[in-house]
Amino acid sequence: MSGLSRRLRGILGNAAATDARAASLGLLLMFLAPALLFYAGFAVYPVLRTFYNSFHAIRPQGVVEFVGIGNFRSILFADPTFWKAVGNTALFTVIATLVDVFGGLLLALCLFARAPSAGLLRVIWFTPVLMSYVVVGVIWVWIYDYDWGLANAILHWIGLGAYEQSWLGHPSTALWSVMGAHIWKWLGFNMIVFLAALYALPGEVLGAAELDNCGWVAKLFYIIIPMLRATIVNLLVLSFIGKMMVFDLVWIMTGGGPLWSTETVSTYVYKRAFDWNTFDLGYPSAIAVLWFVIILAFIAIMTRLLRQRDRLEF
Amino acid sequence: MLRGISLPLCAAALGLAVVAAPLGGRAQADDVTLEVWSHEADQPAKVAFRELAARNVEKAHPGVKVKITWYEKNPMLAALKSALPAGKGPDAFYLEPGFVEYITAGYVIPLDDLIDWNNIEPWARKVWIHGGKTYGVPQEAYTNEIYYDKDALKKLGIELPASGQFTQAQFLDVVKKTKAAGMTPIAQGVGDRPFPGAYVVGEALLRKLGPDDYLRLFTGKLSFADPRVAEVLKWTKEVVDAGAYPKNFMTLKLGESHYYFYLKPGALMLPMGSWYTGRAFVPEDKGGQPANFPLGVMQFPAMDGGACNECKTSAVGASFVINAATKHKDLAAAFLNAMSTPEMGKMWIETIYLQTGIKADVKNFSGPHAAYFTELMERQKGAKYFIGAPQDLTTGECKDAFAQVLNSGFPGGLLSVDQAVQMMNKSCYKG
Repeated sequence: MSGLSRRLRGILGNAAATDARAASLGLLLMFLAPALLFYAGFAVYPVLRTFYNSFHAIRPQGVVEFVGIGNFRSILFADPTFWKAVGNTALFTVIATLVDVFGGLLLALCLFARAPSAGLLRVIWFTPVLMSYVVVGVIWVWIYDYDWGLANAILHWIGLGAYEQSWLGHPSTALWSVMGAHIWKWLGFNMIVFLAALYALPGEVLGAAELDNCGWVAKLFYIIIPMLRATIVNLLVLSFIGKMMVFDLVWIMTGGGPLWSTETVSTYVYKRAFDWNTFDLGYPSAIAVLWFVIILAFIAIMTRLLRQRDRLEF
Repeated sequence: MLRGISLPLCAAALGLAVVAAPLGGRAQADDVTLEVWSHEADQPAKVAFRELAARNVEKAHPGVKVKITWYEKNPMLAALKSALPAGKGPDAFYLEPGFVEYITAGYVIPLDDLIDWNNIEPWARKVWIHGGKTYGVPQEAYTNEIYYDKDALKKLGIELPASGQFTQAQFLDVVKKTKAAGMTPIAQGVGDRPFPGAYVVGEALLRKLGPDDYLRLFTGKLSFADPRVAEVLKWTKEVVDAGAYPKNFMTLKLGESHYYFYLKPGALMLPMGSWYTGRAFVPEDKGGQPANFPLGVMQFPAMDGGACNECKTSAVGASFVINAATKHKDLAAAFLNAMSTPEMGKMWIETIYLQTGIKADVKNFSGPHAAYFTELMERQKGAKYFIGAPQDLTTGECKDAFAQVLNSGFPGGLLSVDQAVQMMNKSCYKG
């Protein structure tokens, strides 16, 4: 054994034997510093800066002017596009979250019941989760295309040609079409989580229910769903957060159009920050801060309403 | 013991830093990399043009490397808007004259003493003059034209007047006849740009109002309820309702609209800036126009009682500016100058087939698209130019309304004339 490796083994062996809590603050900081610096630079600073910007107007030549709650007042009382974006985002969030979570549960139950070709279906349903938003967006723009899209081709094929339309080109269908693509992407994720939770359920409880001649519906509503409550709540909260911040897919598929019918709060923030021929990041920062507070409030309410007071034991 | 190793580790790291620092410093002093950001990554002729200028600078300045990062426009603008306020960003970058906020914010420097202005057309330089100082080097100039399929027009039994310009009634008739023949009259889409859908209505407004009132309209000083504006919108609505645009107008992207026009499924017309050539004149297997495509150029239609039917939009497009935070101002200027020599101007015309702000003594056009360029020049005879496009004249809420209403909702058939007027006035008209 060389001298170097002997020394290294000595150091590592002794280090392992040392209580890390006894290490000096300086040493701990030295090891933590890279991660802390990275976190501070790329997470803490941008957040703090956004809060700071939200109370300021950034004028030409980099002049920063304190405007107090002026930005927030303009957003809440004089910005109809913001409210349009809020309405779209709310609709998107509520519908897509419910369909995503309970659709995922249905698919999981289908696989749990050992439907024919369950293995293949699991792969097919989960594959969209692995795709990036860009890919999903491009695929669905093609599917919805009026002239050469699959959606209209199917309608035509089954004799419903009268319903062919420009799915992303009309305000009455655009948001629902984007929602469809988003649900397609995330349904498989919820399915997999539910499937894992279903397989973790205690077999004796389900077996006892079967011995008691409990039907599928009763078993689902009185045994399975109550026992999956924690998973459902977690998925609802996660899905809710993701949809309140929806940006990528909307941006790729419609850019917020036509006529602001798919404008979400996130796309509006981006437009105000980068598309409006202005360097004023104050106003878009204020929208971002306001939306952050709203999301936080909703999460707190949801968690409070849905939390389980009596812990199930099994 | 762990505490014991901290000192040697720190000392080693410090030592390494001390040893490496002068090496890094020397590398920076000797080898300068000039960072350039450019849009138009998808246009091979322009990429070749700017890369050639970069290599020329490298030859003239040993030790200098010019690194061009190629972007699409929107991601580039987003990156610039993050980098510049932080005092970062490239040494020189692509910009168009409409983005005056970069000048007012002080992120680009005046170029009056840095550039050889003898090589630049004065009318093109003028576009970049603000407060008596010149901030950009104009490279690309273009005019708005209607490209059309000569054979298809002939098959429809329609003859283009010698002036190359239909009246508004004739144009509407062309749209109706084309539609009746089962062909899409105008290949246009707004899937990824905030302006192509407004070509027809914009050029019609320019001809009807004349340049002064047209400028007033898009700078908030003239109401969209003006009877002349309403007349133009009413005519445009007739064109739209006659089925002028493809059904996938809302999602068709700019590049796709080119392909739609000259290849599949084919359309009679494509209103576009004369930078059409950047996408069309590339090899067919890269999405270019077929070699035998019967391309023609016509004027936008004349409006009844138009104040200036010989007017047309001309604009300076691709230009380059220098970042105020650059440490290599002179080198950046050298790159801008290298792109602006008469030889490069000649190369621009002969390889890109597009007008330019660079002075280029080209009397006889050569190459496979010489006939096209001759016809394009023919369409410029007697033209009065209005410099600037609506998407560049508008800012903030009005710019957004222009993109959503005149570019998309109105030509997309989603809005009535009254709704369009109301929405545009709400966002643009300052009374």
